[in-house]
Amino acid sequence: MIARNETIFKWSLYAAATAICLLVQTGLLQRLTFWGVIPFLYPLLAAIPATFEGPLPGTVFSLCVGVVCDLLLPGPVPCLYTLVFPLTGLCAGLLAQSWLPAGFLCSLVSAAAAFLLHGGFRCLILWMRGTAAWEAGALVMVRELCVALPFVIPLTLLYRAVFQRTHLDG
Amino acid sequence: MRLLSSSTCQVIGLKNFLKQHGLWVLLTAAILSVAMAVMSVLSANSSPLVNLTGILVSPFRAGYTYIANWFNDLQNYYKDTTDLQAENAALRQKIARMEETIRQAEADVEENRKFRELMNLTKQRRDLTDFEAAMVTEHAVTNWASSLTLNKGASLGIEVGDCVIDECGNLVGVIDQAGTNWSTVLTLVDTDTSLGAQVFRTKDLGVAQGDFSMMRENRLRLDYLPPDCRLLAGDIVVTSGLNGYYPSGLVIGSVEEVQLDDSGAASYAILVPAVDFDALTEVFVIKSFEIVT
Repeated sequence: MIARNETIFKWSLYAAATAICLLVQTGLLQRLTFWGVIPFLYPLLAAIPATFEGPLPGTVFSLCVGVVCDLLLPGPVPCLYTLVFPLTGLCAGLLAQSWLPAGFLCSLVSAAAAFLLHGGFRCLILWMRGTAAWEAGALVMVRELCVALPFVIPLTLLYRAVFQRTHLDG
Repeated sequence: MRLLSSSTCQVIGLKNFLKQHGLWVLLTAAILSVAMAVMSVLSANSSPLVNLTGILVSPFRAGYTYIANWFNDLQNYYKDTTDLQAENAALRQKIARMEETIRQAEADVEENRKFRELMNLTKQRRDLTDFEAAMVTEHAVTNWASSLTLNKGASLGIEVGDCVIDECGNLVGVIDQAGTNWSTVLTLVDTDTSLGAQVFRTKDLGVAQGDFSMMRENRLRLDYLPPDCRLLAGDIVVTSGLNGYYPSGLVIGSVEEVQLDDSGAASYAILVPAVDFDALTEVFVIKSFEIVT
């Protein structure tokens, strides 16, 4: 019973931290444009928690973030984020588990992977619809990544704080 | 032996003095009085003694008048400053109220202008039978789509596929999602938008559709043009209304340039939308229209 309560508490904290980020994204960042793109934090919200929690819990959490994003954002297919973000979480979790310990560097690499997956999937959909735009898609993806990279630091600090608060024994 | 007080001694001294010199004093006073009377009679303005007294007193008089005036000025200055501050505060409040009224009036004028233009449009376009005015609450939310969120939805009869126009009748986009009290519009430049279009001057038909490569520059393509079409820059492109999905004659934009596609066999035109999507604050959803044949 204690373990269940701890689990609920842990994921509630992660959800609360993510909700704060969503609030910042929708209330502030969405109205700003840097280098021709809106700062797009959603892939980071799927990737960074997974670097701390590992592949399986990270994938499940990213799936939940994906569902929320699909409910909030318009997309070419109704389940775009639900498909892409679990993959992002899985990659980030595996990366942290096998190659890079969770931290700023791991978050940066995970962020790059997240934007690559998201942008690649978008371009793939455009190509499947007969309106391929690989070059323009790659340009948007790179710009999104560059604009979002500074946000990796506060997000890593935030999720690290949640991780440390919920893993006191670690 | 009795002791005498000092005042009694002074009175006794004065009596002795008057006894000894009283006559001389009286005589001197009489002479002075007569002299002053004579001088007063002889003088045109004032007697010299009075004049002398006045001359001596005059600087003192001016001095205390100056000081009195200074105090009065100080008092008046304080009173005026207090009054002015109160008046200034009242005027500031009045200006703030007036500015608020002006702002409201400007908003009303702008709204009125839009409704007048819409009324003219309704008169000109009798096929557009039912409009719903809506505010744009959110512009693009991702870098991969061009969308607007409106504050009206299905509860007011807005449906997926309804055309959205501005107050001048220029096409903004098409409703993509309709919630109870909100709806999402995909603008003309979004990759999911595809409309039957017609070049107003030549009557050539084509398909206006968003292209991701041009979306960030707010441009769209006019594809499937007939091989013999001769488009000019600035040609107006409107909705064709074919198949009855969308009303005809809504302005999509104007031709910017004509290019050959990758195969080199067909040409397409790059269109500039008539609407500035970033500046939109209010739009009108066409809920129903009559098909014009």
